[in-house]
Amino acid sequence: MSEIFYVPQTNEVELFEAAAAMHLPILLKGPTGCGKTRFIEFMGEKLSRKVYTVICHDDLSAADLIGRHLIDESGTYWQDGPLTKAVREGAICYLDEIIEARKDTTVVLHSLADYRRILPIDRTGELISAHPDFMLVVSYNPGYQNILKGMKPSTKQRFISLDFNYPTPEIEEQIVITESGIESERAKKLVSIATEIRQLSDTDIQEAVSTRLLVYAAKLMLKGFNPYEACVHTIVQSLSDEQDVIEVLETLISLHFLKR
Amino acid sequence: MEEFIGKVWAKFVTKKTSKVYESERVYFTDIRKSLKIFHRLMGGEKAKDLQVTDKRALNTSRTFLQKISFLGKEFYLPWQDEKALYLPASIALFAHKEENKMLYFWLVAMATKVKVTSSNLVEQNTEATHYLVDRYSGFKIFYEQMSALLFSKSLQDKDVLSSQPFGMWIYPALNSKNKANDTSEEEELQKEQAKEKTDTLEMKKQSRQIDDKKETDGFLSFLPESLMNIMEQVNVDRSEDDRFDENALYHAEDLDEITLGQKSANLASRIKMDLDLQPDMSEIYPLGKGHFLDEWDYRTLSYLKNYVCIKPQITLHVIPTPLPKKLKKMISKIQGALDLLVLERVKNDALPYGDEINMDTWIDYCGHQNKSTHHQKFYESYEKQTRDIATLILADVSLSTEAAITQDIRVIDVIKEGLMVICESLQKLKDDFAIYTFSSYKNTKVYFHIVKNFKEPYTDLIRGRIDIIKPGYYTRLGAAVREGANILDKQKNAKKLLLIISDGKPNDLDRYDGRYGIEDTKKAIQEVRKKGITPFCITVDVQAKEYLSYLFGKNGYVVLKDSKKLPKVLPEIYLNLTT
Ligand SMILES: Nc1ncnc2c1ncn2[C@@H]1O[C@H](COP(=O)(O)OP(=O)(O)O)[C@@H](O)[C@H]1O
Ligand SMILES: [Mg+2]
Repeated sequence: MSEIFYVPQTNEVELFEAAAAMHLPILLKGPTGCGKTRFIEFMGEKLSRKVYTVICHDDLSAADLIGRHLIDESGTYWQDGPLTKAVREGAICYLDEIIEARKDTTVVLHSLADYRRILPIDRTGELISAHPDFMLVVSYNPGYQNILKGMKPSTKQRFISLDFNYPTPEIEEQIVITESGIESERAKKLVSIATEIRQLSDTDIQEAVSTRLLVYAAKLMLKGFNPYEACVHTIVQSLSDEQDVIEVLETLISLHFLKR
Repeated sequence: MEEFIGKVWAKFVTKKTSKVYESERVYFTDIRKSLKIFHRLMGGEKAKDLQVTDKRALNTSRTFLQKISFLGKEFYLPWQDEKALYLPASIALFAHKEENKMLYFWLVAMATKVKVTSSNLVEQNTEATHYLVDRYSGFKIFYEQMSALLFSKSLQDKDVLSSQPFGMWIYPALNSKNKANDTSEEEELQKEQAKEKTDTLEMKKQSRQIDDKKETDGFLSFLPESLMNIMEQVNVDRSEDDRFDENALYHAEDLDEITLGQKSANLASRIKMDLDLQPDMSEIYPLGKGHFLDEWDYRTLSYLKNYVCIKPQITLHVIPTPLPKKLKKMISKIQGALDLLVLERVKNDALPYGDEINMDTWIDYCGHQNKSTHHQKFYESYEKQTRDIATLILADVSLSTEAAITQDIRVIDVIKEGLMVICESLQKLKDDFAIYTFSSYKNTKVYFHIVKNFKEPYTDLIRGRIDIIKPGYYTRLGAAVREGANILDKQKNAKKLLLIISDGKPNDLDRYDGRYGIEDTKKAIQEVRKKGITPFCITVDVQAKEYLSYLFGKNGYVVLKDSKKLPKVLPEIYLNLTT
């Protein structure tokens, strides 16, 4: 049946289904690597809808979302962008890290996010009513780094919000085991390390350890690297460039996985 | 078993005392920073400090330790109270640096797992030891090695127990009973100090006291320039009876407008008058009688109209100060990072002219039926990213900032350094910024002190003003936030940031304490948001408060556990906030 592996954290699957039935857009909040993308892929499969993912950045233009004219030997022709495709086909359009995109790029979403569910395409003069199965999903990481960029409350209020966080240790352990194939003893230790490092705050390290990094570390171990090395190259180095922080993190890891 | 180890340890240490590994000695100060991070990693209370322990006796009465003759003697014992964990200044027990260092890490980890009193010393330490040994293979090996060492050294000798308590344990705090008294006494003292301060300030305002003991030489070299600067910002006008001229009364809106005074005729005579002053006589000068703001009373769910009096001030006769040497290295490092940022570019498309043809627009045009009605904006350009941000830094300089962090650094000192460093960054980024400090004495006097307004350039004079910032009285946070927001509101920038540096604790001598102060501040923060201004609080308090997220929202603040880090962290936080 289901091909994609996803362990629900709480009732997000039910909420997503409800929002889909009510034709409402969804906002996912949460730090990187806590399973947002995986969740969308999983829901796409569950609801049998295709997922178009766009990773937002400040150079993203409206044309990248909606579409553009292209040229071939017979002249110019129109090519739908991922958003337009999703609107026509009744797919899920997932805009990852939405607040990285410029405001003039994301204005096109307004009429899609509210009750109208229409997409006007200025360049062709077309006005598309969204397919009933079309669904808009956006995500962002509400760290303090983003408060100035943060979404406007008025925009946010059009969405059903799902708050993601790192999974509980039991769930995270299960994820690491299934994703990497590692045995439970080392998975447990990896999760302990992550739990401890997550006690540190933004000012010590840039980002917290994500589940993704734990999966990477586990995979390196299975490739034959000694566990200490595997952790240093995945978890430690990616979190900080500061020597004293790195040293402490290495000490912590050496307490779980002996150096040698 | 534990009792046994205790005894064995005792002997081990006695024997060893003659043989310490001097070359392998590890000093607490060298690894303090790492230990602090480790302490947090282990789940230790974020606000707790790590310090060196003094020699002290063991104040236990009921345990097995009683039987050991070291009771009553003094040792460098690891122990903790609510404020800090106290560790030996150095350790040289083992033959390798690594092991000596490991003992520090062990003790820190232990400290996060125990709550020792004199009656549960053994149980707590035993339990924590088991926990650490079970959970961390690294600690397990360390502990086993230690034990092995102990056993091999001691079993031959059946002699007396003596000398030292077990060095891998955490011991109870000294006289924990007195704690309650201490704090209330401290508060009394604080109140008195505050009162004294107000009195002297009042006196100064009345009579413009001049300290005649100071030497006069050399002041001419700096005074005129500083004075000119000030004169250009404030139209200082004093009538003979030393009352302040009504015309010098500025409203909040004017605070940021203070530039050239209108009564320039006075300038020459003013300077002459002021030249008669002694050097180093920086003086706080009130900008008018003040103006009023509302305050929120949560009990009646309504505003008390014009309840709070804001008293704007500026310090005159400031000595322009160059950038302190000790900050230069840090600043040049930060500026390196900023250089990269300044290089970042953004693309603008659909321009009537520009660097390159924008393919999308051009092809649109080619495919368009009626070319004459189509717009002609075919170009794109890359531009340096323009930052359009106004930042108002609001620094809390209440009494609590006089608290010492280390022997010779007070909170206020790191705040000053932090301001200097962030100013350099803001200057480099060409962001608009202003700095104000505040402290209050009841609702009738909320001193709002200009360090730099948006109009003034950042110069040595401003550094001089930062340099002479002094701790004031109390923290009527809500009023200061409102005043800051009123000033920011006048700025035309696209983004506005109100950066509050504070211990985040609203309090004043009147009812502005506890719930009342918190609710008013929360209200003020909401008002700020409504104005389209983003408030953000950086707390340098040693005790992280639960209500910070209630006041500022979950992502509206950071807590610096190590306040000494403020200068380094402040620009980082600022960049994270604004890019
Ligand atoms: N709940 C979960 N179920 C299954 N895998 C997960 C889960 N959470 C995280 N993961 C793992 O973590 C990785 C990163 O998750 P991802 O969805 O890419 O994070 P995000 O999109 O939030 O940055 C996934 O590839 C997967 O291996
Ligand atoms: Mg993702």
